[in-house]
Amino acid sequence: MFDVSRVQKELTECNRDKAISGVSIALYEGGSDLSHLRGTITGPVSTPYEGGTFLIDIQLPSGYPFEPPKMQFITKVWHPNISSQNGAICLDILKDQWSPALTLKTALVSLQALLSAPEPDDPQDAVVAKQYLQEYPTFVATARYWTEAFARTSVAIEEKVRRLVEMGFPEDLVKSTLDSVNGDENLALEKLCSS
Amino acid sequence: MAEYEDCPSSSDVEEGDCYLSDQEDAIEESVLQGLEDRREEESHWSLSSVITKESLLAAQKEDLRKVMELFALKEQHARTLLIHYRWDVERIFELLDQKGRERLFSEAGVSNVENKILSTSPTPVMCTVCFENVIENAVTEMDCGHSFCNECWTEHFIVKINDGQSRRIRCMAPKCNAVCDEEVIRNLVSAKYPDVADRFDRFLLESYIEDNNKVKWCPSVPHCGNAIRIEGDIYCEVECTCGIQFCFNCSSEAHSPCSCLMWELWTKKCQDESETVNWITVNTKPCPKCHKPVEKNGGCNLVACICGQAFCWLCGGATGRDHTWSSISGHSCGRFKEDQAKRTERARRDLYRYMHYHNRYKAHTDSLKQESNLKETIQGKISISENKESKIKDYTWVINGLSRLFRSRRVLSYSYPFAYYMFGDELFKDEMTPQERELKQNLFEDQQQQLESNVEKLSMFLETDFQFFSDDEVMDIMRHVINLSNVVDRLCKQMYQCIENDLLYPLQRATHNIAPYKSKGLEKASELSVCWDSDQSLTSMKTSLDDHYVQWDPTQNRIGSTSHKRHCEHQLHGSSSSDDSGCSSRKRARTSSHSGASFFDLNMPAEVIDKI
Ligand SMILES: [Zn+2]
Ligand SMILES: [Zn+2]
Ligand SMILES: [Zn+2]
Ligand SMILES: [Zn+2]
Ligand SMILES: [Zn+2]
Ligand SMILES: [Zn+2]
Ligand SMILES: [Zn+2]
Repeated sequence: MFDVSRVQKELTECNRDKAISGVSIALYEGGSDLSHLRGTITGPVSTPYEGGTFLIDIQLPSGYPFEPPKMQFITKVWHPNISSQNGAICLDILKDQWSPALTLKTALVSLQALLSAPEPDDPQDAVVAKQYLQEYPTFVATARYWTEAFARTSVAIEEKVRRLVEMGFPEDLVKSTLDSVNGDENLALEKLCSS
Repeated sequence: MAEYEDCPSSSDVEEGDCYLSDQEDAIEESVLQGLEDRREEESHWSLSSVITKESLLAAQKEDLRKVMELFALKEQHARTLLIHYRWDVERIFELLDQKGRERLFSEAGVSNVENKILSTSPTPVMCTVCFENVIENAVTEMDCGHSFCNECWTEHFIVKINDGQSRRIRCMAPKCNAVCDEEVIRNLVSAKYPDVADRFDRFLLESYIEDNNKVKWCPSVPHCGNAIRIEGDIYCEVECTCGIQFCFNCSSEAHSPCSCLMWELWTKKCQDESETVNWITVNTKPCPKCHKPVEKNGGCNLVACICGQAFCWLCGGATGRDHTWSSISGHSCGRFKEDQAKRTERARRDLYRYMHYHNRYKAHTDSLKQESNLKETIQGKISISENKESKIKDYTWVINGLSRLFRSRRVLSYSYPFAYYMFGDELFKDEMTPQERELKQNLFEDQQQQLESNVEKLSMFLETDFQFFSDDEVMDIMRHVINLSNVVDRLCKQMYQCIENDLLYPLQRATHNIAPYKSKGLEKASELSVCWDSDQSLTSMKTSLDDHYVQWDPTQNRIGSTSHKRHCEHQLHGSSSSDDSGCSSRKRARTSSHSGASFFDLNMPAEVIDKI
């Protein structure tokens, strides 16, 4: 079993300054399993990812922190080092360059940095990497479009769900209500209150 | 020449100018040849020595000491350096000039020890891995200056050792390239997991074999426990003290004059016989009526099955029997296309070519197997001869002739796969013009044929029942055997020279290294001699390690080894209970090969060796 006390400390530490760092970590799907977490990073400014919020699935192996955490984008993202198919990440510190003195927060911050500075020479997604190198404007447009399409709505919805749930409504009901009003938070609140 | 007329062998073979009829010439020739040998072998010298369980530590210490003395280093730092540079002491000396000490060390992960600052803070410090405050004596600082708590270091080491990375365990600090001090690793790990510490030590010891270009495990199955160290050219064939002969470069059976690549391709080809499969699929089609495979005969595309059904070769559909060259009655599939016919032709040609070479290769390996049975028969004949009324008492020429026969037969059989690749399209398609290729092929095949006919003659003489012959007849056979032995030896040598100088050397792109011809057969690897000087610690270390490695089994617990996987299984079954089986089998093999084989040449394919 991995070092539970360290992971707990990491979570507290990371979420303390999430407003500044733009990264945060929560238990996955509101579960209670410390080995399955969900990271959130905001898209860096003046990149095609600006304005997006990206969710990352984090799984901790039993050897953590002596073995690297497994991370994968949940939110679809158009980036040379991230698979457009399944969100797999190509980043050295998640592989052989992992060090036990690194933390989940540093790893998420590195992912943020990766969004700002792609490394197309060591690609995870060959198609994206080729586009990045050969048709940069098209790449920027596609990445921006993907951010708009996947990283905004999904997170906006997530956020709205979280807020409404925190007001005391059951999550299932919140989700279906938001769905029925096309994501309009105020309409959903009205509907929830009147039902 | 006349004297051979009445001898049964000479009627069907040509007497080339290579067959020396005069024995004095032969002797003179062999003296000259001897001089040439030495010249030849100087360019390809290799010395092999065997590293046993007992001498491994000594061999490693020898190199360690050189490096420790040169740089005034601690043993663990010397080891880190040597592991990084693959135990190549000469290379380290070279790189010292090129890179300088600082870079040489840092690239290998050896920290500059002088820079170490001893921290003296008495207060508890926070370990940045477990985020706990720990008292200072529970913290260990590496040479690179990074410190973490002992618990965390230990976990880190265990994960790395279990992961098979014992030889280069890096510091835990991010981006720190320093390799952890093996002494620290040993101490911390053994305090908690003594068995893992043992494994760590064994990994370090075996690094001398596994991370070393000049040392290879003996490929024997079950494993004899030895490794072979080479000095000089690594493209050579060696013989372990267990009796097995192998190509040092690729660890498969000795295969010269084939290059390693040729041999690899050839064995693969023989295994799957893809050509045959290919030929059958291209050349037969199932009958639309009875579904038996039917072979096409001739250029006609209307084929008939033995069941009487006629069908169209191109589409497989049933047809009537009337047809012309370009159409079949009652049928218009329109698939009379050139390329189909060409493809068939090509597949057929490729198969015939492969079969040509394979049949000859096979014939000679089969002969080799049969001739290896001669060993006993000949021993019997010799003892009859020695006991009969005769003035001839010395029969070593028979034994020598037999050795020569095996060696040359071996060369002959491997010369066929060589020719298959040398003159085929697979490896050197664009390296030669068709004219060049034909010229070279003729040159080579002339030599091959000469060798072949003389080897057969030698074989024939050795198979005679000389024990019943008169002294004069025996003398005659002896002359033939001695002459032919010299001739085939020279022809083998010529063939290797031709391959190196005339065939391979002019090629631009291809690099095929062929292990040199050894006229006297492969030399058995010598026992490694390391001088044990007055170094007391060395001796005591050896004893303690010997106790440590009672469970010697180089194939156990190996992670990420390459060619050894297949020995592993045997070994794990064979000797998991004790080391006795591994040890004694080695000793047994060694004694038998020393005593029994003193005259007998094992220079033959491994498959033959198995059956003797
Ligand atoms: Zn710690
Ligand atoms: Zn360090
Ligand atoms: Zn051996
Ligand atoms: Zn080889
Ligand atoms: Zn039929
Ligand atoms: Zn016909
Ligand atoms: Zn047809």
